[in-house]
This record gives sequence, structure tokens and C-alpha cells, in this order.
Amino acid sequence: MLVGISLETKQINSIKPIECAEEMSGYLRIVASDRCKLSFSKIFSYFAPRLRSYALKQMGNEALAMELVQDTMSNVWQKSHLFNSEKGSPSTWIFTIARNLRFDMLRKQRNRKEDVCSDDLWPILCEQTPDANEVSLDHQVTMDEIGVLLDTLPEKQKLVIEAIYIDGKSQQEVADEFDIPLGTVKSRTRLALQRLKEMLKDDD
Amino acid sequence: MISFHPKYTDLQAFSAGNCNTAMALMISAHLDMCQQCHHDCIDIQSELAADLFSLSTPTAPLDSQYLAMMSNITDLPVAKSIVNEAINTSIELDGKYFELPRVLRRHVKNTGNWSRLLGKVWQAPVELGDIGKANFIYMEKGGRVPEHTHRGSEMTLVVDGQYNDGIAEYDCGDFTIMNNQHKHLPHSEADDGCLVFTIVDQPLHFTAGIARLLNPFSHLFFK
Repeated sequence: MLVGISLETKQINSIKPIECAEEMSGYLRIVASDRCKLSFSKIFSYFAPRLRSYALKQMGNEALAMELVQDTMSNVWQKSHLFNSEKGSPSTWIFTIARNLRFDMLRKQRNRKEDVCSDDLWPILCEQTPDANEVSLDHQVTMDEIGVLLDTLPEKQKLVIEAIYIDGKSQQEVADEFDIPLGTVKSRTRLALQRLKEMLKDDD
Repeated sequence: MISFHPKYTDLQAFSAGNCNTAMALMISAHLDMCQQCHHDCIDIQSELAADLFSLSTPTAPLDSQYLAMMSNITDLPVAKSIVNEAINTSIELDGKYFELPRVLRRHVKNTGNWSRLLGKVWQAPVELGDIGKANFIYMEKGGRVPEHTHRGSEMTLVVDGQYNDGIAEYDCGDFTIMNNQHKHLPHSEADDGCLVFTIVDQPLHFTAGIARLLNPFSHLFFK
């Protein structure tokens, strides 16, 4: 064999899906932390041939099918740090990547204008918000100012705004957490934002 | 309280990536507000994935084409983290700000100005290219749209507030599809009014009273 890494090509029928998921999660973690090609080869040899069957069915032609396999597995290699085993199994993660890429490939083929892309419809590969340490100084100053303004809001509005804009929760999550109707979350958000906007205007 | 959800078969098509783009947009926005459907879709996805990547799927040993692909892939660098571009997360009407579901935020920049449709009903068109004719429609408290039916289908998602259409009461997050079987008369009695997002594929058809005079022109608005 030409490559310097051994490939797992034999069938491993004796293990159960759940064990397979744990094993693959482990490999993904090592790929993310060490860029380990051997671990990637284990993931690749399991998923790539199975992806090809899916891609052939979806794209209807060998070249496009292999393009979809390659794009999907490239995403796995390049974005392994975004995989979160608490949110689902490696199979589900890789399936959603393939589904999104396929959606975009088909739209492109039909020359659709790119006003809707798969990452908007199914947000899986986007990081939620940049890390706190990536926030620029300018941004930080504004955040501090807003922090002061936030403290002047009524407590109920402040809690909702913090949960949404600082913790990055969805309005529904906030409603569940505080056990209040979604409509109330919305009206509190609206009132708070209006108030903040007025205060910022007065500052200028 | 959300009482109107997409059909389960539509959630399945959405999760598989097989539904049309207008429907996908609506379902994605609904999921942002509806934990129940959100969880259903997560379950559907993992079932689809489990089928697809089943251990028992027979596969041939990797040939040289796969080996070449793999070595191309492992030559690629790690993806740089993308800082999300700052986009408007709400739309404004008359000093009121309405937070939008994630998937609709990208379309704020393609949303035209608000214009008064009738009485207390406002409309802002959203340019979605080939996907369909979309609008934000806002009913002030006491605002009503004359009774109408649809030549094609109309998908509606309540983004904020509540309205009633003579058939049922809708709260934020509710998703409905109306077609020519349905005749309805939407109006809102909510203090903050009601904002909905709609996609229609044909003009509305007014069915009662003086509003029938609008029919020849209905393609000018609501579409």
C-alpha cells in the first residue's frame, strides 16, 4: 500500500451502532485536537463508501456523487472542532453536512440565485458567536457602555435581554427557562430594545 | 401557545432536504420558535442518518480513487472560524421593533418599505427571487383584511402577536397553509397588533362585500 497509514477496510459487523457512535466520536475528537490522519482514515473508510451510495441516489451521476462525497468529508476534516457529541451522533452530523451541501449543489445546478443557502435553513456548521477573546477593543467599549445601560432596565427586561443577546439563547428557550409565554419574551425584548435605543440616542 | 404546526410529512421532507425552498424557509423559521417541531426534526435526522450509515450496509474495500481523495482532504488546512456578519435581527415599523426568527434575518435587507394596505393593515414586500412572493404583514389592533380565499396557496407564520381569522385563533409561532378551500378574514385584537410573514404563489381572491372590487387589482398587493 502506498500511503503510510493503515486502512480499516474490513466489515466490523459485530459491534453495535451505539458503540460505533462512541468510537467515531472519539476519532473526531482526536482529529480536532491533533489533526490525526490515522483517526480520520477510520472515519473516512466507514463513512465515504456509504455516502457514495446516498450521493449516487441523490445526484444521479457518478462525478457529482463523488464531488458530494469529497466535499462532505472535507468538511468533516476541516470542521471537526465544530462536532459536538452532546448534540448528536457522528452519523447525524455527517448526514446533515451532506444534506446541506447537496441542497446547495442542486440549487446551483438549476442556476438559482443564492438568496437562500442551506446554512441558513439548517444552521449546523456555523459557530454561534465569536469567542469572547476575539471581540475587538472597540466592540468591548461599546459592550461596557451597553452593560451600564442594561442595568437601568427593569429587572424583567434585563434578564430577557441578557439571555438572548449575551447567552445567545433563542426566544423560545428563554420562554421555557423563565416559564413565561413566548409573546411576553417578545414584548419585553421589544420594549427593552426601544428603551436602549432611546438611551443611546440621548448619549450622542 | 403554538397550536398549528407543519405536517409531520413536511418535517420529514424538510429534514431530508427534499421540500421546496419556500416551505423550507417557513419550516426553518417555525423551528426557531417551536421546540416541539425542533425536537421532531432532530429525531427524524438521526433516523435518516442511522439508515444511511447503517453498519449492515455492504461496502466494497476502498479503492485507489478513495485513497487519493483522502490524501487530498488531509492536505487541507483547518477551516478558519468565520465571524458571523452583523445583520439586522429585527424589522421596524413606526418605532416598534420586531425580533425575527434566525432564517428570516438575512432577508431584512431585501425588505421594501412598509405601505398601508387597507385601514390598519400594513405590508412590506420581501424580495426572495425565484422562491415566491413574500411579505411581512402587520395588523394594528383592530386591523382586518377583507374576507378572501386563495387561488394558489398561502403559507403564513405568526412572527409576533396574535390574530384570528374566523376559523381559529393564532399565536406567535403558529404556521398555516391556506388554499382555495379556505375562506378567511384575518383580524387582530392584540394590544401590540400582529406581525406575520407570508409566502403566496397566486394573488388573493376577495369574496365578500365591497372588497370584491379589489379582485382585479389584487395582484398589485398581497403578491
